[in-house]
Amino acid sequence: MDLQNLAYAAIQVVHNFGAVAVVGSAAFALWAGQGAAGLRRTLAWVMLVGWGAQAASGGAFGGVSWLYYGRFPDIHGIAVAALLLKMACAATGFMLAAVYLYRGTGWSDRAQLRAWHALATLAVVALTAAAFLRWFS
Amino acid sequence: MRHLSIGSLLGVALLAGAQISLAQNASVTISSPMEGATLSAMAQNKLVYEVVPGPRGDHVHLYVDDKEVAVVRQLKGSHALATLSPGPHSICIKVVDKGHTPIGVEQCVKVSVN
Repeated sequence: MDLQNLAYAAIQVVHNFGAVAVVGSAAFALWAGQGAAGLRRTLAWVMLVGWGAQAASGGAFGGVSWLYYGRFPDIHGIAVAALLLKMACAATGFMLAAVYLYRGTGWSDRAQLRAWHALATLAVVALTAAAFLRWFS
Repeated sequence: MRHLSIGSLLGVALLAGAQISLAQNASVTISSPMEGATLSAMAQNKLVYEVVPGPRGDHVHLYVDDKEVAVVRQLKGSHALATLSPGPHSICIKVVDKGHTPIGVEQCVKVSVN
C-alpha cells in the first residue's frame, strides 16, 4: 500500500468528519430551535472541534505534500481564493464557537440563534469553497 | 540518540528511494510543438502530448512561461494554446498528484513565435 495515499486518505477522513461536524451541529441547532436550547453548548463543542479538525487536517494536506515533494500544492487563481475563503471561515468559525462557549449561555435566545445562523453560513461557505479548491488549481 | 539519527537517515533515504522509484514510472511526452519550433502568432497552436501518471500522478498542469494556464485531466491528446505573443516562450507539462502537487515529472519545450 502506498504510504502517501494512505496519509492523504487518513487526513481526508478527519477533514470529512470535520465538515460533517461544522455543518451538522449548526443545522441541528437551527432545525431544532428552542427544542435544542439545552443542547446548544454541546453542539458548540462539536462545532469547535469540527473547525479545529478542518484547520489541522487542511494544514496536514500541505504537510504531506511538503514531506514527499518538498513543496506545497501548485494552486492559482480560483483555487487560491477558495483556500483563503476556507481559512477565513475556519478561523472565524472557531473563534465564534469559542466565544459562544465562553459567553453564549448569557446571551438572549435571539442572539444565540443569530450566532448559529452565522456559524451555519460559515460552514456552508467553507464547504462550497472546498469544491472549488478541489477541482480548480 | 545515535540510533535515532541513523534510523532517521535510513527512513529519509528509503523515502527518497521510494520517491525516485515511483517517479520513474511516470513520464510526459510532448510531441508537438517540437523543441525549438517556430510557431505563428496568427495560427491556432496546439500542444500534443501523452502522459503516463505513474502511481503518484493524477493529472497534469500546463504552464506557459512558468505561468499555469490549464489543469488537464486527459492524459493523452491535444490542448489548444491561447494566442502567444511574438518572441520566445517556454511550454511545460507537469504531472501532479491528487492534491495538485507536482511530483517532479515534467517536460518543457522552448518555442519561438513569429
